[in-house]
Formats: sequence, C-alpha cells, structure tokens
Amino acid sequence: MKDRYEHENLYWIPILIIFVFLLPVILKGVTFSYKYYLFVLNLAGIYIILNVGLDLLSGFTGLVSLGHAAFLAVGAYTSAIMVDQLGVPFSLSLIFSPIIVGIFGFIIGFPALRISGMYLGLTTMGFGFIVKRIIISFRDWTQGSAGLEVSSPVLFGYTIKSDWDNYYLIYTFVIIAIVIGRRIATSKIGRSFMAIRDSEQAAEASGINLSQYKMLAFFISGLFAGFAGVLFAHTSSFISTDHFDILLSIYFIIMVLVGGASSIYGAVLGSLFIVLLDNLFVPLIEDQIQLIFNTQAGDIQSLIFGLIMFLFIIFQPMGLYGMWLKMRIYWKLFPFNPRQRFT
Amino acid sequence: MKKIIGVLIVIGLFGPGCVKRAPSPGITDSEILIGNVQDLSGPMKELGAIIPNGSNMYFKYINDQGGVNGRSIKMLIEDHQYNPQKAVAATKKLIEKDQVFCMFQVIGTSPCEAIRPILAETGTPLIAPATNSGTMSDLTKQAGDLIFHTDTGYDRQAEILVDYIIGKNSDAKIGLVYQDDDYGQNVLLGISRVELKYGVTVQKESYQRGAVDFKGQTMNLLKGGLTDVIIAGIVREPVVIMKTAEAMNFKPNFYGTGPTIDARVGKMAGSAGEGFTATYWAYMWNSDEAGPKLYRELCEKYDIPQPYIGLYHYYGFATAMLLVEGLSRAGKNPTRNSLVKGLESFDEWKSNTFPPITYSRNDHAGVDKVKLVQMQNGEQVVISDWLE
Amino acid sequence: MTDLNIDSLTMRFSGLVALDKVSFTVKENEIFSLIGPNGSGKTTLFNCINGFNKPQNGTINFCGNDLLNKKTYRIIRSGISRTFQNVQNIPFMTVLDNILLGANSRIDTLGTLKRLVSRDQRKIEESMALEIMDFLGIANYEQKFMMGQPFGIQKLAEIARALVSKPKLILLDEPAAGMNDQETREIANIIRDIRDELGVTVLLVEHDMNLVMSISDQICVLESGKVIALGEPQIIKDDPKVIESYLGEPLNA
Repeated sequence: MKDRYEHENLYWIPILIIFVFLLPVILKGVTFSYKYYLFVLNLAGIYIILNVGLDLLSGFTGLVSLGHAAFLAVGAYTSAIMVDQLGVPFSLSLIFSPIIVGIFGFIIGFPALRISGMYLGLTTMGFGFIVKRIIISFRDWTQGSAGLEVSSPVLFGYTIKSDWDNYYLIYTFVIIAIVIGRRIATSKIGRSFMAIRDSEQAAEASGINLSQYKMLAFFISGLFAGFAGVLFAHTSSFISTDHFDILLSIYFIIMVLVGGASSIYGAVLGSLFIVLLDNLFVPLIEDQIQLIFNTQAGDIQSLIFGLIMFLFIIFQPMGLYGMWLKMRIYWKLFPFNPRQRFT
Repeated sequence: MKKIIGVLIVIGLFGPGCVKRAPSPGITDSEILIGNVQDLSGPMKELGAIIPNGSNMYFKYINDQGGVNGRSIKMLIEDHQYNPQKAVAATKKLIEKDQVFCMFQVIGTSPCEAIRPILAETGTPLIAPATNSGTMSDLTKQAGDLIFHTDTGYDRQAEILVDYIIGKNSDAKIGLVYQDDDYGQNVLLGISRVELKYGVTVQKESYQRGAVDFKGQTMNLLKGGLTDVIIAGIVREPVVIMKTAEAMNFKPNFYGTGPTIDARVGKMAGSAGEGFTATYWAYMWNSDEAGPKLYRELCEKYDIPQPYIGLYHYYGFATAMLLVEGLSRAGKNPTRNSLVKGLESFDEWKSNTFPPITYSRNDHAGVDKVKLVQMQNGEQVVISDWLE
Repeated sequence: MTDLNIDSLTMRFSGLVALDKVSFTVKENEIFSLIGPNGSGKTTLFNCINGFNKPQNGTINFCGNDLLNKKTYRIIRSGISRTFQNVQNIPFMTVLDNILLGANSRIDTLGTLKRLVSRDQRKIEESMALEIMDFLGIANYEQKFMMGQPFGIQKLAEIARALVSKPKLILLDEPAAGMNDQETREIANIIRDIRDELGVTVLLVEHDMNLVMSISDQICVLESGKVIALGEPQIIKDDPKVIESYLGEPLNA
C-alpha cells in the first residue's frame, strides 16, 4: 500500500498557526486601531469554536439546532457562577463548564430521537426560550435580565485582561478546537454522523446505534459550545440574556451554511466571514447605502445577511469551503477540462 | 507568494483604520470627535433617531459659531439594538477604531452597565447617559468616576412619586408595575426605601421587556383594590396597561417614571390616559424658560421636521449643551482628564434646559428633582413645582 | 456452525402476508440465491435478517445466535452485513470514507479515542478499507466524492462497505440491477471471489437469471411469501412450478 500522506501538502498548517499567532503583532504594526480588530477577531474565535461544534451537530449529523445561543448562554452563565460565586478556579471551570453544557445538550438531544429537520429546529428553539426564562428567574445567581459582570480569566496566576491576552487565549483554543473537530470529523464518529444524516438505513446496517450517536452529537456539540461559552463570559466581562436570543442561534446556522455545512474548515471560514463582514465591511458600505436609501443601520445589516444567504444557497450550496475546493482543483488541472472533475 | 497576498489583503482590510495618533484621541486642530451608541433598530428605535438629532442640532449651532475653542464637534453614532453585548462591540469600535474623545448619551441602562469595563480600561468619560437609572451616578461602581449623569435617578423618581401620592391621600394603596431588568431594579430600590419610610407595602407586578399583554398584571392590581398605580415602563406598557384597566373598569390614578413622560403615552391611551401623571427632570420643551425658547428657535432655524420636535429631541439638545459646556471648560487642549475636571467644576451651572447642575469629585449625579406632568384634555400640563 | 437457519418465518404487514412460514438453511461458504417475482418477499426477508423488520413468528439463527432478539446495529457484530437494492451511500463523503463506515464495528472505543490524538489510527483504518478496495479494484477512487460517481462504482463501494466489517455472511440485494452484460459478468466474478478468497458466505437476491444460475450453489424461489422451490440450480431450472410462475419458459443457460 502506498503511503498517501507523503503526497499531501501539510506544510501550510504550521505556517497558518504561526500566522495566527503573529497576526496581533502585524496588526499592531499596521494600524493603531488594532485593539478593535483584535476584539472582533476574538468574537470570531469564540464563534468558530461554537460553530465547529454546531457543524458536527447540524452539518454532519443533520440535526438542526436553533438553540445554540442557549448552549452558549448556559456555558457562559455556568462558568460565571462557578468562578465568581463558588470560587472555582478558571482552569477548572474550563473543564467542568463544557461538560455541564455537554450534559445539557445531551438532555436537549432526547427529542432528536423522535423528530428531525425543521421540527427539531423548532424544539431546540423552544429550549432556547426556556433557558432564557430560567436564567432570568434565577435572579440570585444570574442577576436576571440585568446582566452579570464576570471576572477576567486567571490562568497559572496570570490575569488575562486585555484584548491582546484574550486573543492568545481564545486562538489557542480555536486551534485546539479545529484540530479536534477535524479529527472527530475524520474518525469513526464523524463518518457515523454523516451516515445518520444521509442514510439511517445504511448507518444502522453498518452497526451504528442511531440514538447513541445522535445523543453523542448533541453532547459533543454541547462541549464545544460550553468552551465557547466559558471564553465568551470571561473575555467579554459582561453577559446578559439579551445577547443569547434566537437571532444569534440563526446567525450561527447562517455561519455554518455560508461556510459550507459538513466541513470543519467551512465552519471556520463561515464564522470569520460573517463576523468580519458584520463588524468591518458593513460599517464601511453602510454610509454609502444610507445616502441612497433612507434606512437605519440595523436594517441594512439584516438586508445584507438576507442577501448573502440567498446568493450562497443559489450559487454556492457547498459554501465557502466548497468554493475553495473547486478553485484549488481548477488551478491544479487548469488546462484540462477542470469542470468535469468536481461533480 | 500566497503569504504576501494574504498580508496585502490584511493591510487592505485594516489600512483605513490607520490614522495618525493625535495628542489626545479624537482631538484634532479642527475637530472634536465624540461617540454615541443608540438603539437604531431595536425596541427603542424611535428614540434612537430622535435624541441624537436634537444633540446634532445644538452641535451644528455651536459649530456655526466657530465651535468649542475653534474645534467643531462631530458625533459618530453606532447601533446597539438594546443589546448590551452589541453595545460593548460598538463602544469598542468607537473608542479603539474611530478614536473618539469621549462617549456621549449612550441609551439604555443595561448597555451603559455593560460598557463600564471599557470606559474604565481606556479612561474614556461617558457624558449624560440616556438612562435615568440611579446606578449611573454611583461612584463606587466601575468607571463611576468617568460617568456624568444628568437625570434624576429612577429610585429618586419613585420615591418622589410615593411621597406625592401619600401627601395627597394618606390612605392610598399603591401598586407598581415594573420592567424586569436594571430599570425595574432601580425603581424597586427607591420603592423599598419609601416602604420603610412610611411603613406601607407596595403591590409589585413585573413584566418582561418587550411584553405586549398585561392582562394578568392588571387583574392582580384590580384584585388588590389599589387607588394609585405607578408604571415603570417605557411607552407601550403604560398605554396597554391603562387601556386594559379601563376595559376592566378599574380606575386608579396612574403614575409613570422615566421614559413614560413621552407625549405619545397620553395620545395613544386616549381617554384611558387622561390624568396620567409622569415625572420629568428638565424644563418642558414648550415652556417659557430661556433654554426651551432657544430650542424652539433653533428648530425653526435648522428646519427640524415636525415629528422630531418634542420632549426627546429637546432632551438630546439639553444634554448636548451640557457636553459643550464641559468641553469648553476642559481648556484649549482638552484631554480626557481635563474634561472630567471641567465637568467637576460645575457649580449650580444654569443651562436653563435642566435645573442648575452641580458636579464635584464626589458627586456625578446632576439633577435630583422632578416636576410632575399630567395629561389633561390630551395636553401635557406641569402640575407641580420642583419636588425633591 | 456458521450456518444461517431460517425456520417458519412469518411476517405480516397489517393483513398482507409478506413472508409465510419460510424455512431454509444457508450453509457455510455457499452462494445461496433468493429469486422470485417482485413483491414475493425477498427484500422483506433481508430486512428480517437485518433487524429492520420484526417478524411475528419463526426464528432466524446464525452461528447459534438468535438474531431476532438483536437490534439492527448489533447484527453486523454477529458477522452479517448487507447491501441495499437502491444504493445507500453517503454522497458528501469520499469513497474511502464511505467504505470505512462499514469498518465501524472493527474500531472499538479505544481506537476512536486514539484517533483524536494521533494520526496513526487513521492510517490503520484506511488500510482496512484500501485492502478491500484493492480486492474490488476501486482503489483509484478513494479520494473522490461518492456524489457523481458512476453507478457501477457506487454499487461496488457498497459491497466494499459490507465486506470491510469482515463478515461471515453477506447479504447482497440485487448487486447487478441496472448493469450491462459485461458489468454483470464482473459482478459474478466478484461474488465468486468473495466466497472463494474471503471465505464469506453469500446470500443473494437477484433478478438476472443467468447470473443466478451460473454462480449459485443453492437457490430458493419465493412467491407471495411462500417457498415454492429449493435446491440446486439444475433442479430449479426444471421445476415445473418455478417455470410456470416465474421463469415462464425453460432457460437455456
């Protein structure tokens, strides 16, 4: 058997990682608004972690979740309460909070054994509302809808406070999340997830316990969301129920779809694309649009999001990652009928 | 090659944010840049458009006269959709990317609470947050020394209302409907103080922000046999509650705190809103004081559309006056520090839009009294002098 | 003892009798074919063995284990794997990954966890699939997406998926459906190889009479859920009942 890995180009992975860690330095050199860009990138990083998990659930396993904002909320509030009110060290919260969210996801997964598709989406959405209500009603712990101030993360005696520190904290976990996400996707678990999505018969005949794997998908997705939640709570230093609403869940699904469902790199690209678009690109063109139409900022955001979703589903059902794959194959085979290869 | 392209893309993306650092952020030889985060597309979007428009009108007036110490004022407005997290992002953008000199008029209690850490980290003052919450002038909280509050706190407003109600009728049974968030919490704080003072119990009903149905709460109030009900809502809530109560043939005296002063409350509630009394912490925009007169003159001069003119537009105007005064006291080359110093030198400063305002190192509270404004025959009539 | 014993199996779908007291035995290392007109209960029988359908009466016994008490996903661990009449592949996975799906029962929890920390596990897994792919001659397709592959390749990939779990018995549901003569001949060779080289017992459902007659050791003819004939190809070919109900006229194969 030939060794296939010798032909594969893996040299870009370390280069990319080095680039990720050098980016703040580059940004600082280029612009002095770098703190804001780091802040945006941090947000994108947290969403990447969550979306890798969401992709495993909704993209790979085909279990649509419109309740991932609630997962994020549970992670964020769990960690905030554990660290600030119970005195658990941040590093332990980093382990326990995701597990708690994973178990929470496991419980939410039960309806998935019976229903699927849009109905499951609606059920998880309902869970989102319930979670929001519960957070508000446990006022003693969560400060209700007033929002909760959260302490900065302390790791090995070092307080991580600025956007700069947050960036390194978050992107370390982003890289870990992507690697683990990739490994899950290419392991037995990932194959089983996809089989469940596309053919439950084939999956069962191949020895996949459907209910077990569906619950596992919710659990794993919960773990990722929990990690994202912990990082979110402690790096944004203030959390409030207003943020974790249904719209955010829909944004997550959009990020996964735009990136290309059922590919981990797709979830990463989608998150980056949407967050950067939202925070850097839209403000640039907003003023121009406002000169033509008399609308307000929020309206344009929704307009652009709707438009992107629309265009992507029509022209790029495989998302950004699919586009990249196509482009890569196109250039590799350039003169020789490149279209036929990728069908 | 790919890497070079990548770096070029990054530079292209982030390049526009690259400007030369001024001695103080947001201050150039000809301009003072200030930041404002409003609700442009959330539940309070009507106010989000109107309030900054009032401020801009005054800034334009000042700029036309040559600006503050030769610098004209420019205000950047971001949207937070009444979402604290978005407020944080928007404030970061204004402070870190656009490099504003100070924050101004950020609307909503929760958003203002959420941006405290950024203000503290960057040392950016926040002038006249557009919320009545008494917590804004609490100097012990994070960034408390950077926030200059103008309005009478909700807790004070609630206290004054109860004082007024009990002064009129010592046997009054009082009820409270409050929004279940920071706003409501601040009102509850004031209510708990007067409960202690008078030894009365106030029946409390809460609702969620954005609720549209108040049948349950109104029914409970009706069962309580109340004579006076205070509504700590915004605009829609008092209207719906008063209409529901009228439909149930339940007719207590209704009072409102904070944003319920909006003229639309009485108009939309119609006959049910007759006699609704709200607290207000500035001179009425259509009164004969010098401030409101100037306001009406400027409205005419700058062709402000009719729907904008009113209480909130005037509020934006009045807070802008305060900011301009603060900036002019901050010296020829203002820094964030000198702005704070300038504001803290206010001693019974008369703008004639607000009652005289005093700030000091230990007091950032601004106004602490209110007038009561009642709906009479569809018009807002001031029925009291300043109550403390 | 790797026989498949089916004894008086009865399956009803709300009044419709799909299988009526079907009994037969598939011996080790045999190619056993099920034939019969459409709707005669062949696929239902597969589904019963595979656990998708739960029959009301009768027993299915494999290697001394009662299969009827097992959940579908456990059947493969007993050494039985299957393919489907309408190909059930995962279009957005590569051919290799599709085949690896069948290797699930060979990868234990430890192996799954190992994959999360090391890349070697993936190599081990891939070698499992590549072995079978070489055997079936589709190794060139490993990195291509299943979506858009020719039908023949998809069929073979499905067979490979069934084989990679190292079954003792493989259920092939119409492997030659929709194929031309040459492909059918290749399939016939492959089925023989599966038995001869891999030592896997084959239970086959097929409509192509030439294929069935040429490779089968035993043939069972079903009609309306009943077994009407059972025996070696020569016997079946001449059985008057079979000719009347199914074959129409004697075959000259």
